[in-house]
Amino acid sequence: MWGLVSAIIEAKNLTYDYDLGENVKINALNDLSLTVREGEYLALIGPNGSGKSTLARHFNALLLPTSGEVWVDGLLTSREENRWEIRRRAGMVFQNPDNQIVATTVEEDVAFGLENLGLEPPLIRERVAEALEMVGLQGFARHAPHLLSGGQKQRLAIAGILSMRPRCLVLDEPTAMLDPRGRGEVMEIVRKMNRRENITVVHITHFMEETLEADRIVVMDRGRVVLSGMPVEIFSGNADLASLGLEVPTIPRLARMLREGGLQVPKEVLNVDELVSSLC
Amino acid sequence: MLIEARNLAHVYMPGTPFEVEALKGVTVGIERGEFIGIIGETGSGKSTLVQHFNGLLKPASGEILVDGKNIWSGETDLRRLRSRIALLFQYPEHQLFEETVFKDVAFGPRNLGLEGEELERRVRRSLEMVELDYDAFKDRSPFNLSGGEKRRAAMAGIMAMQPEVIILDEPTAGMDPAGRRSFLELIEKMHQEEKLTVVLVTHNMEEVARLAQKLFVFSGGQLVLQGTPAEVFSSAETIKKVGLDIPPLTELLQRLQKKGRVIRTDLFTVEEVGREILRVSAGGASIEQ
Repeated sequence: MWGLVSAIIEAKNLTYDYDLGENVKINALNDLSLTVREGEYLALIGPNGSGKSTLARHFNALLLPTSGEVWVDGLLTSREENRWEIRRRAGMVFQNPDNQIVATTVEEDVAFGLENLGLEPPLIRERVAEALEMVGLQGFARHAPHLLSGGQKQRLAIAGILSMRPRCLVLDEPTAMLDPRGRGEVMEIVRKMNRRENITVVHITHFMEETLEADRIVVMDRGRVVLSGMPVEIFSGNADLASLGLEVPTIPRLARMLREGGLQVPKEVLNVDELVSSLC
Repeated sequence: MLIEARNLAHVYMPGTPFEVEALKGVTVGIERGEFIGIIGETGSGKSTLVQHFNGLLKPASGEILVDGKNIWSGETDLRRLRSRIALLFQYPEHQLFEETVFKDVAFGPRNLGLEGEELERRVRRSLEMVELDYDAFKDRSPFNLSGGEKRRAAMAGIMAMQPEVIILDEPTAGMDPAGRRSFLELIEKMHQEEKLTVVLVTHNMEEVARLAQKLFVFSGGQLVLQGTPAEVFSSAETIKKVGLDIPPLTELLQRLQKKGRVIRTDLFTVEEVGREILRVSAGGASIEQ
């Protein structure tokens, strides 16, 4: 035994080249190794083009390594017979809520994946109801998905995944196109799924504020992992985030300025609540 | 007043079962040289409103006036109006289409009849404005630029028309923090140096509080609040009720004030807020309750 918590996703020496044809290749992931622990909330950040989305697509076998290996819950992604089971266990939510809707009512949309699994109708109904309740859409079963708000659409996409009883949720900028309310709704569901259901979360985002409650932040640059640590380590440490196209979120940035100005503000201060109590 | 909406209403798909009243009796005004921020939930009417400002949509009722003239009275050349009041859509890189950056930026002014050296000067100046090096970028394909460069190229295409007003609808969606910051610095610079009137539609409360001089807040097709960022965000209850957020720095200052500190709440950058907190702390200006 070498640890209490086991790995749920493992990328080993993963390299991926996009093949543009005529012998033109673009390297997106470069000998990258990363372990995601079971039950972990991992935030993945990095500048545009750093390889975050390419990496996420390896986590549910949408992309397969050019070289190296990716294991998801004990299954090797490059083995074709594992592919559907991997996609059931590691569900993915994308940026644009409108591109993820497949049916004309909310319940049919959630049921889509379950029907593909060949489950019996009573069991499907039960799972759909359970998933809609988990994301707070229980009153919307018969609604038309396209009339939902952006935040509701993303919660619907998450419900579709939850109905499959996944081990892992991979979110690729799920809030990028949402308004503040929608952003808040999605973040709340994701946190709840992680804490209450122990679902592992990999969350890609450009909003630094959204990473503050993660267990760990992994920073990517040019196809590699360049930093990994708890939010307080990443944002209160000396890492040069600006040179990576990133920035320290507002409150930790202010906290540092106040510390340097001589006030007693602990390094652990990351949000408004914590800063107010350290100042008063 | 440069642009004015008077009792403006807009209805999508009128007379069908899908009829939606997107704007209901909206009256707002924009002065020359202002930096306006428009905030509100998705579907609150923001994007519909800004498409009225340059005549892309026609009012169901009410009026749009530019320089005091109703643009739908039949006397306004709408094509010319749209080059004066330019609209940069979301994901503007989707609007790039030419083989080279030069041709793309030149497209608008060429249609206005510019050619030769004059056209080249216009394109060079537009690329300089968005901080893309003319010689390095003019012959490149717009499709091989980075995300941030593509948005700058699209912006140069608009600046080449020498607009008086630029309307930006979520211009930084999907950009990384560094790209977002430098793009907004660019907009700020053009507002100050080119005296451009700017209308920014955004979901980012922190950015808009820092940049805009005046905010319009929309909900359900109606204007529910307007004023300086400090005035608007002091109505915390209304802001939350219409699905928006108070920027973290403003929330912090408001809460310190509630705790009895005599502190300003109309500051919107980390530097200003940091100095204010340090000043208050050093002066021992807190009032014990």
